[in-house]
Amino acid sequence: MKRILLALGLVALAALSAACSSATAQPTASGPVDPNGPTIVAKDMKFTSGPVEVKAGANVTIHFDNQDSAPHNVAIYTDSGASTPISIGEIVSSGKKDQVVPALQPGTYFFRCDVHHDMTGKIVAT
Amino acid sequence: MTPRSSLRPLDVVIRIAIVGLTLGTAYIHSTLGGLLFTMNALGYLVAAVAVVIPLGLAIRFRWFIRLGLMGYAATAIVAWAIQGPYYSTAFLAKGIEVVLITLLAVDFARMDGNPINVVKSELALLATKLGRRPATGQAGA
Repeated sequence: MKRILLALGLVALAALSAACSSATAQPTASGPVDPNGPTIVAKDMKFTSGPVEVKAGANVTIHFDNQDSAPHNVAIYTDSGASTPISIGEIVSSGKKDQVVPALQPGTYFFRCDVHHDMTGKIVAT
Repeated sequence: MTPRSSLRPLDVVIRIAIVGLTLGTAYIHSTLGGLLFTMNALGYLVAAVAVVIPLGLAIRFRWFIRLGLMGYAATAIVAWAIQGPYYSTAFLAKGIEVVLITLLAVDFARMDGNPINVVKSELALLATKLGRRPATGQAGA
């Protein structure tokens, strides 16, 4: 029985280690930030806005408004593979949160809720 | 060690803790929204009932319910480790699940003994029953 408990402990430790090592570094915004960025709304377990437009080459604050009681965030990645993070917003329940997004090169970017991966959207930097 | 069905005071405390932790993680998952988390919460709810319900069938296979719940919680932990999200509520839920697995293992050891021996004896019992079952067409002969 001690062996089984030891094995369970090791599995838990491995899972926690994997969780901690999964956090990937994301770029940080330096310099002035445009506070008048777009608002992204989460409601009924989806993002209600269409493609979100931001100005390319400038740091911008996006305003996240979670109208669900379920926790959501805005996690921006380079593409839908979601392996390269650009800006990971804090997970909030029933509330608003501002999020500074570092300057984006012109192009289309992918965002999702990190809790509910089927909640997705696009950010277009022009 | 022979499996026992009578409960000692410490067994009751452990069982209450198991039910409490199972309901706790079920509640957390129910607040997350979405089909996957809701189904997960329902799974934990059913398990919490199965761990204590005084039905003959449940009592007979309590060992299996314990192992099943341990596997269920371990799967939830591994799935979370792979895909996240990594934030305070998730860490709380996973902490609860780790403690839950530990208590289930302790409960198993106290009530059923060595799990390998239990599985072996259950498989042997099953093989015996299958071996005694009359073949089709011979029944009533």
